[in-house]
Amino acid sequence: MVKDKNNTLIRFKDVSIGYGNKTIHKDINIEIEQNDFIGLVGPNGSGKTTFLKTLLGNIKPLSGIIEKKVVNCGYVPQRDTVQPLLPYSVHDVVMMGRYSLMGLFKLPSAKDEKIVDESLQKVGISELRNLNYNSLSGGQRQRTLIARALAVEPSVLILDEPTNGMDTPSHYSLLNLISELHAKSNLTVLLVSHLLSDVANLVKKLILFETGRFQSGTIEEMLSEKNLGQTYSANIEVKKINGEYHITSSHNE
Amino acid sequence: METINILFELFPYAIMGSIAAGVICSFLGVFVVSQRVVFLGAALTQTAIAGVAFAFLHLINLENTITSIFGIEVNEESFLHHFEHTFFSLLFTAAAVLIFSQSYRQKFITKDSLLGIIFVIAIALRIIFIQKSPIAEVAEIESILKGDILFIGAQEFYTLLTILIIIFLIFSLFSKQLRFVTFDSDTAAAHGINDRLWLVIFYLTVGIGISLTTRFVGDVFTFAFLILPASVAILIAKRIISVFIYSIIIGSIVPPLAIYIAFELDISSGPTAVVLVFLLFITVFSYKKLRA
Repeated sequence: MVKDKNNTLIRFKDVSIGYGNKTIHKDINIEIEQNDFIGLVGPNGSGKTTFLKTLLGNIKPLSGIIEKKVVNCGYVPQRDTVQPLLPYSVHDVVMMGRYSLMGLFKLPSAKDEKIVDESLQKVGISELRNLNYNSLSGGQRQRTLIARALAVEPSVLILDEPTNGMDTPSHYSLLNLISELHAKSNLTVLLVSHLLSDVANLVKKLILFETGRFQSGTIEEMLSEKNLGQTYSANIEVKKINGEYHITSSHNE
Repeated sequence: METINILFELFPYAIMGSIAAGVICSFLGVFVVSQRVVFLGAALTQTAIAGVAFAFLHLINLENTITSIFGIEVNEESFLHHFEHTFFSLLFTAAAVLIFSQSYRQKFITKDSLLGIIFVIAIALRIIFIQKSPIAEVAEIESILKGDILFIGAQEFYTLLTILIIIFLIFSLFSKQLRFVTFDSDTAAAHGINDRLWLVIFYLTVGIGISLTTRFVGDVFTFAFLILPASVAILIAKRIISVFIYSIIIGSIVPPLAIYIAFELDISSGPTAVVLVFLLFITVFSYKKLRA
């Protein structure tokens, strides 16, 4: 546990991550602070999900130490990994977020019901409460999974590729929702995406994943043309127009 | 009506036992089907049979072991005297479940492959055990291994009833944990629930249910009632609780009905139950397909 009084919630000290004997990234030294909004960006297979699973404790680090304050992590998995055959209602799914906080044999209390209702309200799907999860659109399902993560009353909200496979309106609507949740609740947010353009105008810090390479810093540090050019082996042009980053690239021959 | 009276007079425990076995399988089947591990049912029924076949080798005398460890006298009327086959059936099934649980979150072998290996090894072992059994004809042992609804007596019925109660208790007391890990184990783990432990408990409970029903009513009945009632229920239910209710209703009505039809037509009751529940499935499936 971190015993200092600063805002650090999670600290990676010389951590190596991977599976079995295979190291995916090593010497990871980062701090996740209260009210951080961090984008984790990298192509598929670059180690983003392995990093998340290590952070969540689903897999152990190969070496190094992860120090955590007592924090509740609300996790939103990739939507495609949750495809139930059973007709769970939206309420059923969101209530699962409360399960780890109830006693072993206890049933949901009035407080749990209230928190579930508030979580549904926060993501704007109160009216879907009794609908079958399987009958929802991709965007509605994603909001349901975010509501479930909020039902944990988390200090840290972790979202794994939340906009994957969505149409453009749903895509931006969801990114706005995540941004709002961060701003209104001072929620620390870790947002995983394989698209840099997705998160560049949203987050405050970036962690960039490339095969065998890992770097982190503030958005200004990470979005320099030189740094992105080295990371992606491409000529990257970064422009800031009306306060928004516009990133274009052409690959080196 | 006369047939019904005769059946209740001749086979009271078979009728009640078939209902208990049907309810066990149809209840567990909801989880097995929804978890997409249907082949687990096939692998565990064969493993349970291999366990019973192993008992026929008489390599380990369970009665003597119990007598020497606990000082309990086992007479021919006692439950323990008849427990040997069931014990090895449970033991083999538990071992298979623990092996299967190793497929969890690793990339060396898929669940399907591991279940396939367990399935064929169980069949191979059964054949070897039966061939090496010193006491009886292969055909005779095969018929004992396969179980038969009509052979369910008081002891078998009470065993099934006990297991049914235990299964209901486990799934009621730990419904939150089992529901979450079977729905989305990664998030359950991320939220602090020991998903691996709960999945092993879930699979062990399924294994115990499958092992005992296979022993008493046969592998075909067990496997069919693991899949078909739950599949019908999933097709028609709109709420999660309804899936369980419909599945259990089907699992409890079809077996005694099959005993009645089998008695009238002079055919085997187990396969009759399987055909009946299949007809129900195909009717519901066709109706849903036509409406869609």
